[in-house]
Amino acid sequence: MKVKTVRTVFIAVLIYLPLQYGIVGIVGFYHSEPWPAFVFPGFKSVHVYDNGFEIQQTYFDVYDEVAEEPVRVLPQDFFPELPLSQVPGFLRMHFQSAEEVQELSPGAKSWLKHHADEAAGVDASKLVVVIEMNYYSHEDDVLRRDSTVVKERFTIVLTGRP
Amino acid sequence: MSMNERFHQWIFNSFSVTAEGLGLLRIISSLFILFFLIPGQGTGHFAYLADIPSDFFAPPPGPLMLLDGFPSVAVFQFLHTLLLFALFAMLLGYRTKLASIAAGLSILLLQGFVFSVGKVNHEIVVALVPFLMAFSNWGAVFSLDSIRRGHDSRVESWPVTLLALFVGFMMFTAGFPKILGGWLDPSTQAAQGHLLNQFFVRERQAFLAGYMVQFDSVIFWELLDWATVIFEIGFLVAVINSRWFRYFVVFAVLFHFSTMMTLNIAFLPNFLAYAVFLNWDKIYQTNLEKYRRFTGKRGDRSKKRSLITLAVFTALLFLILHWLSSMNFVLVESDLTLHEAVILIFALLVVIWIGAMKLINRRNEE
Repeated sequence: MKVKTVRTVFIAVLIYLPLQYGIVGIVGFYHSEPWPAFVFPGFKSVHVYDNGFEIQQTYFDVYDEVAEEPVRVLPQDFFPELPLSQVPGFLRMHFQSAEEVQELSPGAKSWLKHHADEAAGVDASKLVVVIEMNYYSHEDDVLRRDSTVVKERFTIVLTGRP
Repeated sequence: MSMNERFHQWIFNSFSVTAEGLGLLRIISSLFILFFLIPGQGTGHFAYLADIPSDFFAPPPGPLMLLDGFPSVAVFQFLHTLLLFALFAMLLGYRTKLASIAAGLSILLLQGFVFSVGKVNHEIVVALVPFLMAFSNWGAVFSLDSIRRGHDSRVESWPVTLLALFVGFMMFTAGFPKILGGWLDPSTQAAQGHLLNQFFVRERQAFLAGYMVQFDSVIFWELLDWATVIFEIGFLVAVINSRWFRYFVVFAVLFHFSTMMTLNIAFLPNFLAYAVFLNWDKIYQTNLEKYRRFTGKRGDRSKKRSLITLAVFTALLFLILHWLSSMNFVLVESDLTLHEAVILIFALLVVIWIGAMKLINRRNEE
């Protein structure tokens, strides 16, 4: 490649990188992180409250027609085929509110039922998504969970084959 | 020296490369991607993605938004096969430039589909390295291209500088949001918060995670917050000087090793990029010297044979490591894999060895 061309490429990249970072910031704020983008993860959150830490946890409570008590399943066990690094993003995108899950198609509900059956070992009829905020702090050099607050709780009625 | 000349010097003379060193880098990089860095988790994962209902198709903003669902498993298989062909061609040095670009693009596209579940993993360097290095002519020697008539054997170092710029900038993008998020606020111990999040929510509890969760020293955790931000922001500044940049790569290896030990996150793709900044010519020369000493052969053929021996040895090691890792008999409860742990420990040993050699050489010079 000619020297002039290489210099032009460098100048273009030097202009492009900050520009795309700005776009990543704006698009990420209103939607989600664009792709492809030349960025590394920011791990911006600090998970801190007063003198402790707040950690959000999602659970799937799987009910069948008979039992009164649900089988509680962690998301990574509910979707074992997904890489663990992608599970929180998947939850954030699809299981944040009751409105989102109400719009799921019969095919999607059937797919969830298959996962629920497999993960809980029951003939699942209902899935309750529970989003909790757990509060931790150190006391006497031991980390303890102070309290738990349920932030969201919504139900998906599962169907078989559409 | 004028700004213009400095700019020219930075682009073309920051890093020195040789055809032999680049040839060795190409072979090791191809093997590394083939065994450990192909996007997705194989055929089963692709079949699973293809089966996900379109309700859960959430492509990141960008070109994949043109689609309205995951592609069929045949598309995944086609891209995967294309990538394998490109990587093998890159390994053998057959139409190396085209193969490297094809490898970069197919990695990028496969990553895009895998990330369309709603989460972008930051692994673009896996695509970036072969794409940029295609322009270094890393197929100049030890390649099928090199026996073709009229082959250009000149090599270029500017793609290495360009890769340094990308890595430095991307590191900056990891550090800058931390400042906005409050990592430098003395009342927040953000690294400790992330440790708890990984430990409890994602059950990343291997190595030192259990011990560190109970370790409560405000000074220690706050220093860690500051060190992380300074390191990540400083990476961009280090791009202007190749020696500084290499020091930052060494810090990066230490940083990722400590991250693996505590947060159980390995960031293996980054190591493909960091490896580019090793002195590959020295590795090639040392290997050649040892080969000649061991076999007693001195001719020109020993150059190729020493390299083939090293490549076969590396491929065998990678194969065994890949196989052992897939057996899943250690780190069973963790999403860390054996090969990630082994490669990071190896990288740590390499930087310790390089540091020790530097110290010994400096002492000898004095």
